[in-house]
Amino acid sequence: MKILIAVRSKEYSSPTLDVGMNISRYLKASTTIVDVGEKIREISSKDINLANEIMDSWDLDRPGIDVLEWAYNYLVENKFIDEQDEAVGFPKNLLVHHGERRAELLLKGSVLKNLRLILRNGDIVDELRDEVQTYKYDVTIIGGSGRKKMVLEIVRYIDSSIFLINNFTPKKIYKILLAVDDSPGTKKALRYGVRIAKAFGIDATLLTISKNRKFGEAQKKASKDAETMMRRSGISAKIILETGDPVKTIIKNAGQDHIIIMGESNRSPLKKLFLGSKPLNIMKLSKTPVLIVK
Amino acid sequence: MISIFSQTSLTDFLFWVSRKKWLILSFVLSVVMFYMPSPEGLGSEAHRTLIIVFVALTLIISESIPLPAVAILILIMQVVLGVDDADGVAASFMSDAVFFIMGSLMLAVAIVNQGLDKRLALGLITLTGNKTWRIVVGLVSFSAILSSFIGEHTVSAMMLPVALTLLRNAGVDTDKSTKLSNILLFSIAYGCSIGSIGTPSGGGRNVIMIGYLSDFGIAKISYLDWIKFAYPMLILEIPIVSLVLWYTFTPSQKIMDTAVRKLKVQVARTGKMTANQILAIGIFFLIFIGWIFLSPFVGLGIVALSGVFFYLTFRLIDWEEINKNTNWGIVLLFGSAISLGIQMKETGAAFWVAESILNQLGKVFFDLDIVRWFISVVLTSLTTNILSSAATVAVLGPIVLDMGGNPIIAGMMTSIASSFSYLTIVASPTCMIIHSTGIIKSSDYLKAGWKLFITSIFLLFLISFLYWPVLL
Repeated sequence: MKILIAVRSKEYSSPTLDVGMNISRYLKASTTIVDVGEKIREISSKDINLANEIMDSWDLDRPGIDVLEWAYNYLVENKFIDEQDEAVGFPKNLLVHHGERRAELLLKGSVLKNLRLILRNGDIVDELRDEVQTYKYDVTIIGGSGRKKMVLEIVRYIDSSIFLINNFTPKKIYKILLAVDDSPGTKKALRYGVRIAKAFGIDATLLTISKNRKFGEAQKKASKDAETMMRRSGISAKIILETGDPVKTIIKNAGQDHIIIMGESNRSPLKKLFLGSKPLNIMKLSKTPVLIVK
Repeated sequence: MISIFSQTSLTDFLFWVSRKKWLILSFVLSVVMFYMPSPEGLGSEAHRTLIIVFVALTLIISESIPLPAVAILILIMQVVLGVDDADGVAASFMSDAVFFIMGSLMLAVAIVNQGLDKRLALGLITLTGNKTWRIVVGLVSFSAILSSFIGEHTVSAMMLPVALTLLRNAGVDTDKSTKLSNILLFSIAYGCSIGSIGTPSGGGRNVIMIGYLSDFGIAKISYLDWIKFAYPMLILEIPIVSLVLWYTFTPSQKIMDTAVRKLKVQVARTGKMTANQILAIGIFFLIFIGWIFLSPFVGLGIVALSGVFFYLTFRLIDWEEINKNTNWGIVLLFGSAISLGIQMKETGAAFWVAESILNQLGKVFFDLDIVRWFISVVLTSLTTNILSSAATVAVLGPIVLDMGGNPIIAGMMTSIASSFSYLTIVASPTCMIIHSTGIIKSSDYLKAGWKLFITSIFLLFLISFLYWPVLL
């Protein structure tokens, strides 16, 4: 399992980092933390390279290093990095460039082989897409942002599951809200649901929605199967069957104390672009974290 | 379609479309414009030239393809659309102005590599002392005066670490913008912008304008002539910028005693000036003398290239270093932009655009001089904040020179107004450099920017109507 956590600033990224690292610790996943810095106009790119070179000679950090340093310290404080490796300290001078827009901080220590710190520059959607395509991540974790258009583009164009950490309060007790139907997407979503519920030690709500009053056999079976799987994994799960508009019903049931998990839509990319899709609409409207499983 | 492409390749295709929408749009619109009948008074070649201008501007602003690709596209379109033949395009592509842009970009790399920035910092704080307001005035004046000779991007790259070190020493968190970080960084950015008007070597756009004035047979402006026109404005702008910045971002730290002391200790460690540094300064001084006395005979570009020749010959810089840090794409872009500017003049496209704007604006303002002033100054200064300064002069230059009235005054006004790049990140390299630190927010640019924008326009108005006519 490979997880990508995108951080942006010290001010807003701690919930993203916290959730991401808890999941990755539970799954023993290989984790990459990336900071995508300001997009630089091509016309000024070399001028900025020059300025950065002079800054190095003044022992000033390049933009973005401070964010990665903050992330590193956060991991140390919260015991994600053990004491033995912590002694090595933050290696801010070991920046290795891979091309013009990507650089990696070389971390030392045995436990750190599963952790990477990356700096990128450019448009956030372009950079995350390139990172995921080149290094094949399973999940990309991003912070909730006022920029809905950007979040939707990330869901649409990035080829990994997307976990949006929206309005997350670390000390609050959340539940998983899993949208269940008889589609293949649900099966994948369910597997992620189990992992996340176990990682945080929380309960699950299994929500099945029918647009009309009748529930089909397949839907009922999917819901029952999901509950069985949860129970076998030691997670307490509650089944809810509701009729109504799927997006509105999910948003209503989720409130602000659930983590919504659902499979990707089966619609073709063209239809999604023009007509949207349930996951995209939920990303747009949700006031709580959402994981779209691909 | 869906059966031919897999979902992944369809997503890839849609992603490509979403990133290249401006390229696709400009292609479609240019085809439509090509088949539209030419407006009255616009010749067929001029019509096609304007299509190229439209495509180039859309692609430069949107950055949907790399800038060198835009440059190459301009050249291809000029030949394919029959505006000129291949040899004609090649001849107009290279000129002394392009030599100058190429030479000054290489000089910038050579100068930055000498490690003179620490010495500059020492000079600055020795003069200013530890009062914050004096440091602000010092940063503005140093940036302005130096960039008037060396070029704004070089100076801002050298001054930036000085400001950042002061901030770090003062214990200011450089993660977010504070009044102190804003005032120090904007002192550099705006100082360099106002400085770039001072001499032709302050910015590539000045040389582009001198090139147009000479190519179109209007006037030969020498290095000293330019200084006479523009330097008084620069001197007046220094206190204006300092005051506006001070009152917009008055910092709570009125004295930066510890920060300055720490900086002094840090800089003192570099020791005495090396022989190479003295030689590097000596060569730049010779280039400066060359610009003043030799450029009327050999051109500004050749003098700049001679400087590069000496830096390389005396091994003050390695070619590899110059090759790595020079933005060759910009050289290509300005070569093409100037070539396009010349075609605009020759095909009559510039004249047609100038006439059309004059006619439209003539309905709003009654005095033709005011209309010309409005186009040269207001239109240029607004365009520069979207398009960046040098590209603005390359495109608007031929138009303002074809407006009637005194073309020297119109040309100088356009060049100077293109430095009013206070409002956005993209306006000038210096704005981009301070933005790249991640400390300054986009919205901070407007806070002091609009005040300077209006004051500078007003100042230029006074100078161009009261002072310049005396010089002519």
